[in-house]
This record gives sequence, structure tokens and C-alpha cells, in this order.
Amino acid sequence: MRILRMIYRFLSSMKTGLIILGIIGLFSAIGSGLSPENFFQSTAFKLSLILLLLNMTLCTFNQLYTYANTRTKKDRMRTNLWRRIGILTLHVGMVLILIGGTINAFGGQSLPVSIVQGEVLDISEVINTANPFQVKLNEFKIEFNDDGSPSQYYSDVSIIDGDNVTEQYSINVNNPLIYEGIKAYQHSFGYLVNVTGESSSGWEAQKTLAEGDLFDIQGSEKTVKFYKYIPNFDPNYGLETKSLRPDNPRVVYSLYDKGKLLKVAAVTFGERIEIDSENFMTFVDLKPFTVLTIKKDPGLLMASLGGLMLMLGTCLALFLKQTKQEELP
Amino acid sequence: MTDYINELTFLTLVLFSIASGLYFLSSYNRRIAGAAFLLSVTGLITASLALIARTMLIGRLPLANGAEFALCFAWFTVLIYLIYEVRSKNGGAGGAVLLIAALLIASILILMPNQLGDNRPLVPALKSPWLTSHVLTAVFAYGGFALAAGLAAMQLRTTASPQGDAWISRIIGISFIMLTITIVLGAIWAEQAWGRYWTWDPKEVWAMITWIVYAIYLHVHRQRFWRGKNSNILAISGFIIVLFTKFGVNFILSGLHSYS
Repeated sequence: MRILRMIYRFLSSMKTGLIILGIIGLFSAIGSGLSPENFFQSTAFKLSLILLLLNMTLCTFNQLYTYANTRTKKDRMRTNLWRRIGILTLHVGMVLILIGGTINAFGGQSLPVSIVQGEVLDISEVINTANPFQVKLNEFKIEFNDDGSPSQYYSDVSIIDGDNVTEQYSINVNNPLIYEGIKAYQHSFGYLVNVTGESSSGWEAQKTLAEGDLFDIQGSEKTVKFYKYIPNFDPNYGLETKSLRPDNPRVVYSLYDKGKLLKVAAVTFGERIEIDSENFMTFVDLKPFTVLTIKKDPGLLMASLGGLMLMLGTCLALFLKQTKQEELP
Repeated sequence: MTDYINELTFLTLVLFSIASGLYFLSSYNRRIAGAAFLLSVTGLITASLALIARTMLIGRLPLANGAEFALCFAWFTVLIYLIYEVRSKNGGAGGAVLLIAALLIASILILMPNQLGDNRPLVPALKSPWLTSHVLTAVFAYGGFALAAGLAAMQLRTTASPQGDAWISRIIGISFIMLTITIVLGAIWAEQAWGRYWTWDPKEVWAMITWIVYAIYLHVHRQRFWRGKNSNILAISGFIIVLFTKFGVNFILSGLHSYS
């Protein structure tokens, strides 16, 4: 019993909490310089966060207990009462943030998914949800500044819930879609190209290619690889685009014969490419796709509440403390 | 306009540097202290003009790129120092605080020489109403920590006074409130823009480390072991971490805050 009491006293003490905070700070400093993506997911680091959560929770209970036993004392001035409430609020806020983060670590999901313009994504294929719905990408577009730099990325989508199209949204950076507890963020984008092939012998084919995809020329061992779409081609920029605005669009492709590179070239859309004396192909047009991050975070509400309590509690605890110090010179 | 901004910034650097030197020399001479104060006010005016000119050039508050932040940081540091000097009637920390402000301005001219003339539009991620509140509170927090570090340096250099320690803890307390608000507002914005309120991005991590150091300070600065010298060393260490969060993270570690 005595040992348990000692353990409780150790785990709930402010000194222990400060030591854990210090260790987390030190580890974080080292981790940010080494391999952040692995370090902050390591068991040792998570354990230090769990210890902090335990310490903060016990510390908060101790404060509540002390508060409950001293609140009636006459010598508690009104300012000190609010300050005490502030300290309690900020500690509870930190506990809620840590619990919210833990809930998200175990029950949250976040995945980037691509949707081609005109196609439909079934959310239940990406994320576990009790109320599945579909998202149709009506249009992906980029708005540009005068200098050609992107001003905003828009994914105009429709929500299909059951048999009905219920909502229309324009997802953009800083403006995610929120529906049935699921969020969809503008994450990235890209382009597919529609190509056609034909030969004098009557062969015809059409295909949609992603970057790196191959297009086989029938009746020969030649293959065309869609290497890259360049929205604003400028020879001075090599294979990089001058800007994202499609001022001078080109498609870069490479031609192979039996796996051996024959040539690399840049062509415009609609330009007929002569593969050999019999075969031709054309890059017809672009088919944009958007990449959305689909996310479910069951701990977000708790973490948000914790964040607000942390802010409010810090203000109460420290600002009231400052205004109380009238004796300053 | 760009030349005008750069010249005003350079003039601010000169004024803050001379003011800092005069403050260091002013221990026993009230005239020199008065001249240092006047030069600081003049520097604050030239810095304000540079910020106004920058605002006119870009058509928004100058709170987005690294140079804009450093200029606001230096401006606010000197502003609150002058308020402190008037209220406390003590210019002892002027040398250290004005030196910090001068170094911040020098960092713009040395490390980010083209950013004050850069009038490219904001990237989509920065087009958010959260930008102003998040960065302004960071400026207030960092400025306060700079002043506290300057005062702490003065306390270590001369005979420490309980009044000096009280000022330091008061300033750190208010700056800590601002830092907490900065971090929470940043988390709300990150949730909206990136879909994660905390990503362990280097800037976030170092802001958290800064928060931890000052949280420890606020918990221990009145304890016997920490009172006086040790808590002043902690206040200065905290500000060194603030500077690393501002500069070290941007120039050494890469991350989502690469534009700041």
C-alpha cells in the first residue's frame, strides 16, 4: 500500500511532469534533426506521451481535490479563484488533447485517393464509415495569378448519398469537404492523356495513359511511353514546366523498339506522330484528376475542445496572475 | 518601392545598432541613454515606414515570408522594449534588446535579401484568415521572449534585482499566453489546410520545445534553486530556442513551413 502510494505520488507530481516534458522536448529536438517520420512514431516516444498523459491526468485530479477542499476558505480572493480555475482548465485541456490524439492514433484514418474527372469514388472503399456515400468529381481546375503561378486548386464535386445527389461542393486548399463525419482535403492533382493509334493496315486503338504508361503499336514491336505533361513548355527550362498555367502545353514521350530507346520528343495535342511508315499515333487531349485526402478523426472533437481549454486556461492562469502583480516597479 | 523598403530597412539596422552601442555605454551617463532612446524611437519609425511601404507593395499585411516576419519581430521587440523602458524607467537592458533587434534586421539583409522586394502572390496554403492571427500572435510572443531574454542578460551582467526578475516573469507569462494561442491557432489552420492539426513538422516540433522550456520556467522560476540566476539562464535559453525555431528550422531543417 505504501509502495503504491509512493508510485502514485511520483506519477502525479509536478516535478515528474516537468521531467517528462523536458525529456519529450529533448527527444523531439533530436528527432526533428534525425528522421522525424520514424522517430515520432517510435514506441519510446509514444510511451513518453502516454506517461505525460498519465501524469497530467493524476495532476489534474490532485488539483481538483485540493480545489474542492479549499474553495470555501475565506482567504481565497476572487482573482485567485479564477486563476486556479485557469490552471485546472489548461491542464484538463492538455489531457483532452493527448486523449484526442490517442483516439485518432487508434481509430482515425487518413488516405490520399485519386479521382479522375467525371468519375465516382465510393468512400466506403477508402474508409470505414457507418454512412457510406459517393463523391463524383465534376471538374478539377486551377485558378492562376497574373504571373502564371497557381492561385487556388478547385475540385468541384457532387455528393451522392443513396440514389440522390444531395450536395455540390467546391473543395479547395483551406476549404475541405465535411460530410457525415468524413473530411476530404485538396491534396494534389495530376493529368492523364487520351491517345489514339492507327495504321495504314486498318488498326485503330485508343487508350488513356498515366505518366509512365506504355502504348503498344500493334503489328510492330514498337512502344510509346507517355513520359510527362508539360503545361508551359520552354526549351530553357528543359523538361520542367515554366509555370503550371497551360500557356504552351506539350506532351513528352519516348519511343522504343524492342525495348531500345529510339527517340524522346515533345508534341502538341492533336499532332499526328509518325511512328514508322505505317503507324501513327496522336495525343488527343488531357483528362485531369484530383488527389483528395479522405480523413476520419474520431478524436478531433476532444482535441479541439482541449485546444480551446488550453488557450482559455493559459489566459486565465497567467493573465490574471500578471494583473495581480500591481507591486511591479 | 522595393529600393525604398530596402533603404528604410538598412537605415533601421544602422539606427538600432548605434542605439544598442549607446545603451551599452550609457551606464553612467543619462545623456547617452537619452540619445540611445531617441535613436531607438527613430529606428522604430523607419521600421514602421518599411512595414507600411511593404504593405502598400503587396496589398496585405506583411506577415507571410521570412523577411516580413523578421521585420515585424524586430519592430515589436523594440516597441515593447520602449514601453518597458518608459514604464520601468530603466534602460539597462536596451543594449541587449536593441542588439537582438539589429541582428534580426541584419538577418533580413544577409539571409533573405530579396524577400522584402518580392511581390509574388501568396501560395494557396497561405490564403487563409488564420494567417494574420497565427503570425501576429507569434510576433507578440517572440517579441516578448526577446525582451525577457534581454532583461535576463542584464540581470546576469549586473547585480540581479527582484524587480527585474518580476518583470521577466511577467513578460514571459504574457508571451507564453501568446505562444499558446499561436500554437492552437496554427493547429486549427493546419487541420483546415493539411487535414492534420499536428504533423510533427520541424516548425511545430520546435514551437512545442519552446513552449515546454517556457512552461518549465513558469513552473520553477520562484523555486529556491531556480530563483534569480538559473531562471534567467532558462529565459535566455528559451529565446535561443525561439531563434532556432525562426531561423534554424527554416535554413537547416525542411518542412511544411518552408515559406515562413
